[in-house]
Amino acid sequence: MSIERRRAAKLPNLKRRVLLPAAVGVAAAGITTLALLPQAGAAQSNNPSDLGNYGYTGSYIYGGTQSKGGGPITYEKLNPASIPYGKTLFLESCSTCHGVEAQGTSRAPNLQGLGAATIDFWVSTGRMPLADPTVQAVQKPPRFSRSQTLAIDAYVSSLAPGGPAIPNVNLTLANLAQGESLFSTNCAACHTITGAGDALASGVFAPSLMAATTTQIAEAVRTGPGNMPRFGPNTLTDQQVADIVKYVDYLKAPNDRGGMAIGHVGPVTEGFVGIIIGLGTVMLAGLWIGGRAK
Amino acid sequence: MITQTADWFDERLGIAKFTRKSLNKIFPDHWSFMLGEIAMYSFIVLLFTGVFLTLFFVPSSKEIIYHGAYKPLDGHKVSEAYASTLDLSFSVRAGLVMRQMHHWAANVFVAAIVVHLCRVFFTGAFRKPREINWVIGTMLLILAIVNGFLGYSLPDDLISGTGIRIAFSILLSVPVVGSYLAFFLFGGNFPGHSIIPRFYALHILIIPALIAGLLGAHLAIMWHQKHTQYKGKGKSERNVVGVAMWPAYALQAGGFFFLTAAVIAILGGLVQINPIWLYGQYIPYKVSYAVQPDWYMGWLDGALRLMPSWEIVGFGHMIPTVFFPAVLLPGITFTALALWPFIEKKITKDTAEHHLLDNPRDVPWRTSVGVGVLAFYVVLFFASSTDVLANSFQLSLNFVLWGFRILLFVVPPIAAFVAYKVAKEAGSVPGTGRRKRANVILRNAQGAYYTEQTAPRSPQHEEEVAEELPEEVVYHALDRDHRDELVGTAAPSGAGGPAGSPSHPGVDLGPLPSGGSGIFRIPRVRRSAAPDDNGEPIGGIGDRG
Repeated sequence: MSIERRRAAKLPNLKRRVLLPAAVGVAAAGITTLALLPQAGAAQSNNPSDLGNYGYTGSYIYGGTQSKGGGPITYEKLNPASIPYGKTLFLESCSTCHGVEAQGTSRAPNLQGLGAATIDFWVSTGRMPLADPTVQAVQKPPRFSRSQTLAIDAYVSSLAPGGPAIPNVNLTLANLAQGESLFSTNCAACHTITGAGDALASGVFAPSLMAATTTQIAEAVRTGPGNMPRFGPNTLTDQQVADIVKYVDYLKAPNDRGGMAIGHVGPVTEGFVGIIIGLGTVMLAGLWIGGRAK
Repeated sequence: MITQTADWFDERLGIAKFTRKSLNKIFPDHWSFMLGEIAMYSFIVLLFTGVFLTLFFVPSSKEIIYHGAYKPLDGHKVSEAYASTLDLSFSVRAGLVMRQMHHWAANVFVAAIVVHLCRVFFTGAFRKPREINWVIGTMLLILAIVNGFLGYSLPDDLISGTGIRIAFSILLSVPVVGSYLAFFLFGGNFPGHSIIPRFYALHILIIPALIAGLLGAHLAIMWHQKHTQYKGKGKSERNVVGVAMWPAYALQAGGFFFLTAAVIAILGGLVQINPIWLYGQYIPYKVSYAVQPDWYMGWLDGALRLMPSWEIVGFGHMIPTVFFPAVLLPGITFTALALWPFIEKKITKDTAEHHLLDNPRDVPWRTSVGVGVLAFYVVLFFASSTDVLANSFQLSLNFVLWGFRILLFVVPPIAAFVAYKVAKEAGSVPGTGRRKRANVILRNAQGAYYTEQTAPRSPQHEEEVAEELPEEVVYHALDRDHRDELVGTAAPSGAGGPAGSPSHPGVDLGPLPSGGSGIFRIPRVRRSAAPDDNGEPIGGIGDRG
C-alpha cells in the first residue's frame, strides 16, 4: 500500500485541509513511492497502488512544489526505460499521421508538449489510432495494453516538456456534493446533467461519460480533447477536478430510486413509455372488457 | 333498512325517478367509447395522488441549505420547493411512488384526451347536437396541458426551471403587452420568488377546479344528449343500443377504473420518471443539455426548435421569433380545433342532427384532413427531441433539424393523400364492413389446385350474425317502433306507457339477464313523435331492482 493511501486512512480530517487549493495542487509531485504495477497488459485501474513505478518526471506537473501528503490527485511517473519501446510503438501506429517525431503533419496535429495526459486519454480510450480523421473520434476498445500505452505516453512526453501528467484520482479524498455543483455548472451543458451525452451542432457530440475511467475523466477535464474546453489549474483546482470525477463516477450507477431508469435522457423516453406502455396497456384493457365491432 | 333509507330520501328529494332512470340508462358498448373514460380515471388518480403530494410539498422559493437523505446534494443551497420534493422522494413513506404515479397519470391523462379527441373527430361525433361538448373537450385539453406544465415546473429542478425560463420568454414575445404579461405573472423579472407559489395555486386549485367543472359539464351534456353509436343492425338515429347503466355498464366502468389505476400504479412503482435528484436545483446560470418538456408540450418545443430565427419589425415593434411557434401556433391550433364543428358545417352545409357515427372511411375528406393535421403535430412532437434522436442514431444535429423542417411540410400532405386514398378505397370495396367469406384452396382429382370461395352462409345464419348485438346483449327491450323493425313481427301495439314497464303488452320479455340491454328512444324525438305522459324515455328492459 502506498504512503498516501495510508495517510489518507489515518487522517480522515485531511479532507478539510485539502479543500484549500494551495494544499492540493501539489499533491503528487513528491510522492514517488508507488507500488509495483503488473507489467504485462495490466488492465487500467483507478487504484494508484496498481500503477507502475515509472519514476520519470519528464512531464510538467501542476503545482510544482512538493506535496506534504496524498492529495486527491496524484500524477503518474513514467518510466524512462520504456521510452524506446514507446518509440517503436509510436513509429508503428502513430507516426504515419503525426510524424516520426510527433511533430504533426497535414493529416494530424503536433503532439509535442501536449503532456502525457493528452496522449494517454486518446490512446487509452481507444480513440487513437483513428481510422478517419474527418469524423469525431469515438471511444472503442483500446488497441494497446496499459503498459504499451504508458510507453507511448513516456515517449511522446519525452520529446518536449509541458502539458499535464497522467492524473490518478483518489476518490476517497473527493467531495461528491461539490462535484455535483461543479458538474452541473461546467459539464452538464454539453454532457447533460446525467452524463448521458448528447448531440451538439454539425455532427459533433458530447459523448456519454458512462464508460470513462476516473483517470480518463480527469485527463479530459485537464486536456480538453476535441471540442471540449480545457480546464487548467487556474480554472479548476486538483481538488475540484477530483470532486467532478467523483460525481461522474457516481453517475455511472446513481441512486436510481423509483424503479427502472429509462435512459436518463429526461421526458423523451418517459413520453414514449407513458403513451405506448401506459395508455397502450389501458387501451388494450379497454379492448378486452369493452365491446367490439359487430 | 336500505328501502327505508331510500324512501326517506325519496320523500324529501324525489330522487327515485331520477335514480331509476339513471340506473336504466343505456350506454353503447364499444371499446373506443372508453377512451374518454381513461382520461377521466387518470384524472381521478391525479386528484388522489395530488392530494397526497400537497401534504408534503412546500411551495416556496425560499433558499435553504439541504441536509436531507440524498447525499450528493448535501449542503447545497436549494429552494424549499426542491428540498421538499427531495424529501418526498427519499424520506416520506410511499412518497416517491405517489409522485411517480402522479406524473405517469398526467402523461396518460393527456394522451387519453388526445386519443379520445381523435376518436370523436374521425367518427364525426362532434356534429350537431354535440358541438358544445366538443368545445368543452377542447378547453379540457388545453387545461390539461397547462396544468401538466405547471405541475412539472413545481419541483424547481434544473430541467423544469429551464422550462419556466422558456415560458417567461414566450410571454415576453407577445407584441406590445408581452413584458407586462410576463412581469405580471412572475411578479417581476425572471425568476423572482413568486412563481412557484403562484404556479402551485394554479396547479392544485384553480385549474383542477376548472377541469372538474368542465368535466362535469362534459359528462352532464353527454348524459343528456345520450351517447353516439356506430351504425349497425338495429341502430338508428332515434335509439341507443347498448348495455344498461346498472349493473352491466357500472361494473364495466368501475372495473376499467381499477385497471387504469393499476396500470398507472405499476408504472409509478416500477418505472422511474423525472428523477429530480439527478437534475439538481434550478439555478439560472446552470443548464443541462437534452432538456425536453413532458410529451404533451413536445409539439410546442418542436415548433420552437424548427422555427428559423426570423424577427419581424413593424410599427416600431419587433416581433421576436419565439412568438410565431409558441404563441401564434398554439393560438391557431386551439382556435381551429374548437371551431372545427362549425368549420365543417360551413363546408358540408349539413344541419341535420347526427347520433350515428361515421366510419372514418365513410367521409374520406374529413379523415384526410384529420390525418394530415395530426401528422403535422406528430412531426413537431418528434422535432422536440432533435438532439436525443441525433445522438441516438449518430446523426448530425443540423441534419436532423433540417430533416424535420422539410418533413414538417412534406409528411402532412402525403399522410393526408394516403389517408384519403385508403379511406376512399376501403369505402368503395363491395361488402365493406361485412363479414369476409373465406377462400379455400382445393385439389381436384387430377392433382391441380384451385381456389374457391366458401359457400355463402345460409340466409338464416346470415340473419343471426347480422342481428347479433354487442356481446352482452341477450334480449332487446324494444319500443313499439323498433320492435317491428327488428323482430320483424307485427306485434300488436299496446297502449302508451313506458315500454320498460314489466306489464307492457305485446313484448315477450322472456327471462331478463341482470345486465339487460335495451334500445332507448331519445327523449327529444320521443316528445315529438309519441308524447309520453312524463316525457321520460321509454325504458330499456332491465330488472328494475
